[in-house]
Amino acid sequence: MFEDVYKSYRAGVPVLRGMNLIIERGEFVFITGPSGSGKSTLLRLLYRAERVDQGRILFMGRDVARLRDESVPFLRRNIGVVFQDFKIVSSWSVYENVAITLEVLGLPTRLIKARVGEVLERVGLTGRGGDVAGVLSGGEQQRVALARAIVGEPALILADEPTGNLDPQLALDILGLFDEIHESGTTVLFATHDRTLLEVRPRRLIVLDEGKAMDVPNGVSTPPDEDYDNQLPL
Amino acid sequence: MFDGMTRRARRGMLREWRLHTLSVFSLAVAFVCLGAALLVVANLRAIEERWAHAGRFSVYLKDQATQPDIDLVKSALTKVPGVTEVRYVSSGQARAEFGMSEGAAKSDLAALPVEAFPASIEVLVRPDMPDADIAEITGKLKVLPAIEDVETYQAWTERLSRLVRGGVAAASLLAIVVFASVLAVVGSTIRLALQRRRTEVEVLKLVGATDVFVKGPFLLEGSAQGAMGAVGAVVLLGLLFAIVRGRLDGELVTLIGLEPTFLPWPVAIGMIAVGAFLGMAAAALGLRKLVTV
Ligand SMILES: Nc1ncnc2c1ncn2[C@@H]1O[C@H](COP(=O)(O)OP(=O)(O)O)[C@@H](O)[C@H]1O
Ligand SMILES: [Mg+2]
Repeated sequence: MFEDVYKSYRAGVPVLRGMNLIIERGEFVFITGPSGSGKSTLLRLLYRAERVDQGRILFMGRDVARLRDESVPFLRRNIGVVFQDFKIVSSWSVYENVAITLEVLGLPTRLIKARVGEVLERVGLTGRGGDVAGVLSGGEQQRVALARAIVGEPALILADEPTGNLDPQLALDILGLFDEIHESGTTVLFATHDRTLLEVRPRRLIVLDEGKAMDVPNGVSTPPDEDYDNQLPL
Repeated sequence: MFDGMTRRARRGMLREWRLHTLSVFSLAVAFVCLGAALLVVANLRAIEERWAHAGRFSVYLKDQATQPDIDLVKSALTKVPGVTEVRYVSSGQARAEFGMSEGAAKSDLAALPVEAFPASIEVLVRPDMPDADIAEITGKLKVLPAIEDVETYQAWTERLSRLVRGGVAAASLLAIVVFASVLAVVGSTIRLALQRRRTEVEVLKLVGATDVFVKGPFLLEGSAQGAMGAVGAVVLLGLLFAIVRGRLDGELVTLIGLEPTFLPWPVAIGMIAVGAFLGMAAAALGLRKLVTV
């Protein structure tokens, strides 16, 4: 997927330096690394909120880095994104927040209603469609954001510290939802520095450091000893 | 998709109705100024038109002109090609006619001596007769001994034309100022609306909305504001016009020989169309630097 990618926001201060990373279709990958290591940048490059300076990013057989601006909306229709700060429109209803993904596609209202209903059920918000999104709790708001990300059935879900604003139990619940989404065949890229999440079960873990990506063996079998701490510069 | 766009535009306007009302109101005020100027110009035009096509001139006779003198001038004029009617008006008749058209002021005028109204020959010519031809005839008439003066209403028309040209220039200048203010008002309103709906725009771009989809509602809002401002101005102007005409009708009509007219419909509708177009253009300018996710 990532091939020799360079990215810097300011000249001389590169965030990604020749990063190489291959993620297969259907994988669930954790991306971790210290704050400022470029986790968000990596995700932003994928949905083309940023452009690479050098290198290629291949997704669905296309080089994201070289897409014309007019094609970016169509790239994003294949990618669902979830953020730490939810990014839902608080004055809209829960239904509207989720339905927008499908409205953009121009689907008929009847179909939108049915699909949004199903997805709200999947994230545990059955019957909450009419509520104003702004009054929901943090955990509920993140479920709305997740519903919005998956309702279009994208090939890839990007999550940028989606549990950062939630307490531990809610974070685990949300991670459980991501697991369910992954089980239905969606590729998931999950950026986090929450160690308790990494330890839930064995999963591929990528650490960003010094502008490069490293695969790190991870799993509940690995005891959280000193050695482990050294490998994870958290 | 267009459906969704109008719905989002309407929702945006309803949610920010104070902002939009304020904007529409300032636009209406600006358009009232422009409309008033256009109204004045339109009426001056109508007056000019009327006098330019007066198709007549008056030959004023000296008091000592004899009947043979008069008959001679009359028969000579009748033979001129383009002249359609020649009519002698004695000073008595002149006073009576003037009194008639003056209506209420009749009693005052009746007190004037008969000599105040000189006898004349009223000449009607075809409206398409060139000014040069008329000038040639009047030039010849003026040197005749029985004739005091010839009034062609030419000077009157020219003064009116100058006034109309001045009015048009002033209205054009005003139009530029008004258009600039429409751009400024709608532009800043839309930028403010965009600011308040930043998350909405971010979300739209995130889920893969095209630029048209994102900008559409804002463009619709801008154009609705412009159009509503102009409609408000036309309504307001109509009201003012009705009030003013109700008060001045009789006097005005006799003074200019013409009913005052409201803005012609094409002009009023044109103003609304211009409002809608400028509103949309202003919104498009305001959205140039659309937030990028
Ligand atoms: N828009 C930006 N402009 C300038 N610098 C930025 C911008 N976004 C991120 N950075 C910098 O790039 C580095 C990586 O940021 P980020 O990808 O957000 O890291 P992470 O998500 O791992 O904390 C940081 O040093 C940050 O200051
Ligand atoms: Mg980050």
